[in-house]
Amino acid sequence: MALVFLCPPLAEAHMTVKGMNHFTSGALHPLMTPAHVLVLLSLGLCVGQHPPLRLKIPLSVFAAASAMALGWTMTGRIAGVHQAILASVALAAGAVVAIGKPLPVWVRAIFCGAGALAIGLDSGADAATGLAVVSTLLGTWLALMLCVLNGAHYVSLAAEKNKQWIHIGIRVAGSWIVAISLLVVAFALRKQGH
Amino acid sequence: MNPKVVSPRSHLSFLLALGLLLMMSHTASAHSETGGVGGFVSGFRHPLTGLDHIVAMVAVGLWGAYLGAPAMWLLPVVFPVVMAFGGALGVLGVRLPGVETCIALSGILLGLAVGFAARPKIWIAAVLVGFFAIFHGHAHGTELPNSANPITYAIGFVVATGLLHLSGIAFGLLVRWPWGRVAVRLAGFAIALIGFGFLFDLIKA
Repeated sequence: MALVFLCPPLAEAHMTVKGMNHFTSGALHPLMTPAHVLVLLSLGLCVGQHPPLRLKIPLSVFAAASAMALGWTMTGRIAGVHQAILASVALAAGAVVAIGKPLPVWVRAIFCGAGALAIGLDSGADAATGLAVVSTLLGTWLALMLCVLNGAHYVSLAAEKNKQWIHIGIRVAGSWIVAISLLVVAFALRKQGH
Repeated sequence: MNPKVVSPRSHLSFLLALGLLLMMSHTASAHSETGGVGGFVSGFRHPLTGLDHIVAMVAVGLWGAYLGAPAMWLLPVVFPVVMAFGGALGVLGVRLPGVETCIALSGILLGLAVGFAARPKIWIAAVLVGFFAIFHGHAHGTELPNSANPITYAIGFVVATGLLHLSGIAFGLLVRWPWGRVAVRLAGFAIALIGFGFLFDLIKA
């Protein structure tokens, strides 16, 4: 599933697809933004790594924070979130996964909140009318929820098998996310320096 | 005969997956962006373009498999991070001395470690591998093109490096058989020879 999300035909952020309604366009936005996919993957791994799956608090925090952030984008006061910030959230969550120690659920909720805020604030809609904007953001919000839910659910299902190679694989995925995020932050700092 | 019982969890999994697939079905007709695609492909190809890098990555995997647990699973977790750290240093223009020499030495030392079936303490192996990982990462970092889409490039780069490492581990798992141990050790010596070739400029990267 992770490889499907990260497959090459991923476009740049804020691209809308011609002929698609606003809701679907909004729903696809996080899936077509590599930085968002990275954060969502890291959150799914973080929440689902240590069964039993405890979703209520992290998912509630994610839902509230993402709704708030998406709503805030309607004020027009924020143009987007720097890729380095998104990468830093993914880096932190990925590091937690790579280390592999179980964390209290409130810590996982904090990661979910940070990720939700970062992605939400970076998902402003470019639509013309108010209704179109709301429709787009609703699609985005639902897609975000589905992604985190799916990610955590399937990671937890895998982790429940209690096979060492699965646990190692999850930790390796976390370390890959850390590695990718480190490079993205370095790229961003280099770009800023020029 | 008892009917097959399907757990509620399976229903939930199916519904969740269906929800995602319904969303993903539009991706197939979405316009692709050459920046993103090119970045991923470019990043994926980069670690594969240098024989000196390839042999060292494979040697790390071989050695990890030879050392067994916990080294075998510790190295694939730690290595990408340390290498990315070196890559970040390279991207930021931080200079490191003797990068190409250290890369050649990595092939030699890691290859000999596998060839001679060295089994040092895990922290020694981790420090050695980590040391060389920084130089490999740094070399890649300095070569990264300015025009690349950073995130898809980084994804391609890390995935390719990780797969090289894992291929080394897969090959290294042959050590469970007597003939496999011989094959792995011979591969280690071959890697060391290649490293010598790079060190004395007999082979060009």
